[in-house]
Amino acid sequence: MIRPQIQAFTATHGRGAPANLSRRRFMQGSTALVLGAATPVLGAAAGANRDPQATLAPNVFLAIDGDGGVTITASRSEMGQGVRTALAQIVADELEADWSAVTVAQAVGDPVYGDQNTDGSQSIRLLFDTLRQAGAAAREMLCEAAAQEWGVPAAECGAAEHAVRHQPSGRKLGYAQLVPAAADLPVPANPPLKSRADYRYIGKAQVHVDANDVVDGQAAFGMDVTLPNMAHAVIVRPPVLGAKVASFTEPPAQPGLIGVETLDGVGLGGTFQPLGGVAVIADRTWTAIKIADALQVEWGESPHDGFDSTTLAGQLRELVRADGERMFDQGDVEASFAADGQDVEALYETAFLSHAPMEPPCALANVTAAGCEVWAPVQDPQSTRGLVAQQLGLDPAQVTVRVTLLGGAFGRKSKPDFVLEAVELSKRLARPIRVTWRREDDIQHDYYHAASAQYHKAKLDAEGRPTAWLQRTAFPSIQTTFNKAAVAPAGWELEMGFSNLPFRVPNQRFEYAGIEPGVRIGWLRSVCNIFHSFSSNVFIDELAAAAGQDPIAYRLALLGESGALEVPGTQPPEGHALDLGRLRHVIERARDASDWNAARAAGRSLGFAVHHSFRSYVAAVVEVQEDAGAINAERVHVVLDCGTYINPDTCRAQMEGAVVFGLSIAMRGEITMRDGRVQQDNFDGYPVLRMGESPDITVELVASDALPAGVGEPGVPPVPPAFMNAVFAATGNRHRTLPVRA
Amino acid sequence: MAVELMVNGSRRRLEAPEDTPLLWALRDDLGLTGTKFGCGRALCGACTVRVEGVATRSCQMPISAVQGKAIATIEGLRESHPALVEAWVVNNVPQCGYCQAGQLMSAAALLDGNPTPTDADIDAAMSGNICRCGTYGRIRAAIKQVAEGAA
Repeated sequence: MIRPQIQAFTATHGRGAPANLSRRRFMQGSTALVLGAATPVLGAAAGANRDPQATLAPNVFLAIDGDGGVTITASRSEMGQGVRTALAQIVADELEADWSAVTVAQAVGDPVYGDQNTDGSQSIRLLFDTLRQAGAAAREMLCEAAAQEWGVPAAECGAAEHAVRHQPSGRKLGYAQLVPAAADLPVPANPPLKSRADYRYIGKAQVHVDANDVVDGQAAFGMDVTLPNMAHAVIVRPPVLGAKVASFTEPPAQPGLIGVETLDGVGLGGTFQPLGGVAVIADRTWTAIKIADALQVEWGESPHDGFDSTTLAGQLRELVRADGERMFDQGDVEASFAADGQDVEALYETAFLSHAPMEPPCALANVTAAGCEVWAPVQDPQSTRGLVAQQLGLDPAQVTVRVTLLGGAFGRKSKPDFVLEAVELSKRLARPIRVTWRREDDIQHDYYHAASAQYHKAKLDAEGRPTAWLQRTAFPSIQTTFNKAAVAPAGWELEMGFSNLPFRVPNQRFEYAGIEPGVRIGWLRSVCNIFHSFSSNVFIDELAAAAGQDPIAYRLALLGESGALEVPGTQPPEGHALDLGRLRHVIERARDASDWNAARAAGRSLGFAVHHSFRSYVAAVVEVQEDAGAINAERVHVVLDCGTYINPDTCRAQMEGAVVFGLSIAMRGEITMRDGRVQQDNFDGYPVLRMGESPDITVELVASDALPAGVGEPGVPPVPPAFMNAVFAATGNRHRTLPVRA
Repeated sequence: MAVELMVNGSRRRLEAPEDTPLLWALRDDLGLTGTKFGCGRALCGACTVRVEGVATRSCQMPISAVQGKAIATIEGLRESHPALVEAWVVNNVPQCGYCQAGQLMSAAALLDGNPTPTDADIDAAMSGNICRCGTYGRIRAAIKQVAEGAA
């Protein structure tokens, strides 16, 4: 395997880094950026890996060198959610490290790090305890080394600011001096953890560790990694899922053209295997794009040639108008609907969405006789490694997957079809290959967020309270990407805002239905919560309006006072059941933060929504301004309860981003298909929110000592319904689709 | 064709097809990968550089059209606009960071021509740059912070 020319993908912060930890810049110049090198997989046994630097490396997540420099290894992928910074904050806190001495390295895909799938807003939730223990183990070893040096009880020694002090005598030794002795000590199995009051970095704002590299144009994304002798590939993929190449006109020989390769592909149910097509390989990206743009390909037939999103929308409507598979039924729904009272019913529809991260999918692969090395912006380097090994018939140990920064992902980059394309081409051409997806490739060949329909019906009593409640949802399941016969929504998809609806009514029934799609379906930031939060939050608003009550007061009256929501058939992780008291709290906070009940200027109206997802609680108030028939989102108030938080500034940034993402969904987002083909191909046909449309956003974080929960995704689901409820407040028009229709 | 480009004050020679967009010449030929590919059609602004001071979508600008002209890229921005770059860091603007080179080059062009822009000026100058992470509010705050320093 090629030994890459520079050190690991790292970043330092602060101006006062020790000399040996000077910023490890990526090589820059006429040969372009070269990235890579081994992130050391550290042995669990300290002492066994003593080297001349006398590195103290009690576990795979951190190492302290002989100069006191701390390298913390991030096992999760950075895609803007600030995870590299937050993970380092946790370790550095327990280690009592000087933040300016900390460097963050990026882990390769390897099971020694445990689960590396950066998905489901759970990096902090799953790693919080592990990383605290990792930092604490090193701290205890340093204290023990100092105690032995001084011949005093370790209990009299304490660590702070990168040094150990002997409290009674005031003596002090810096970490650098203690590393050689500490490295020989056994690693404590259960080191004591700091109390919350003593946190130094946890809960404190930090600028992201990669911020300086980003603004200097030095941060290495997937598209920025280069190897000697690398060639560029651009692939013309089948316009309809599952179609094969029938024939194509060979492009004329021309300067820069290296080769043209036909690739086999898979159809629906093909997991993360590539789509196939015709690859153009050239000496530079532009040449490959130009030839690929001009390539004439004849495609064979596909079972999805007739797929049409408008037809599918009609089928979804029919599904939710009829009885579905029952997943929850309590009381006597039929009898209570037959009783006197007001019926309210509504049907909601949402469109297909594309992830459209700013960095389109791309990957660099180098297949050699020894194995394969990959540099790519992937959310799950371990599963990528496994798939690459399987494709090449290698042992995973022969495959190295190096994670670059991800230029946005939103779920797209946990599906590494683009990596497997690069691997196949590198194998065939016996040289490093970078595959670059054009934006058109990205938008036309995504794993789309599912279109959906929901039907809600309620019976209101004389006080306007629901006595009976029926809700149905229908959408093509993500499972069809793994098994095309598995069309029924999975329990975990339904648990995203449908089965765990927090509003319980005495007589209540939940039903679902699935349908086969003609495109690949995948998870997109907050997944099924998008449409379930939309339909349920708009429906509650409709009930409040029918009852002539304030939408927030109506919700509070419907919610239980406190306690855990019971969802039949589900078992949330310990400490993470939906807490009705916490939900109530974010509702009240958002009401107060937005001054909900205060009079507004003419044309200004408010809409509300609240949603629990990824173990967090988010309430949003959207203020819209109506101006000559046009409606703009002017201001958004968000309240987030994510339990214990690590970097409050990151939490705010994620809520700000979620508002923009959610408003794009509410106002713009729609992918359509006709004759099996996606009809949009770039940011003109698939517009997203821009600067001039972005509202002022205020975020409140709930101080909490509850277990850490998700941050990257849970801000999105309340935004589209809060916007649509504000539009209703402004205009009296009830919009029941995503995106909003004129 | 043989082309000579003036990038960040340095004379750079390269051999590339004359229709090669400046974006790909910077990235593939000159190794200046700070300028990003986002859409290839001047719709997203990720590839924004400055040509003679004007914010320019480099994905649509052939190298044949910019020979001899002063080209500025993100790699030279800290030197030319230190306050702007620092404001981006202090406000913790970047999330994924991919679009930020283009955002910064557009902001630099805005502030050079209009040191104290209004909100409407910022909207007009920055609306060609998409950020999928949604950092618009912080971009606005960072630009205003620099403007206040200049006022």
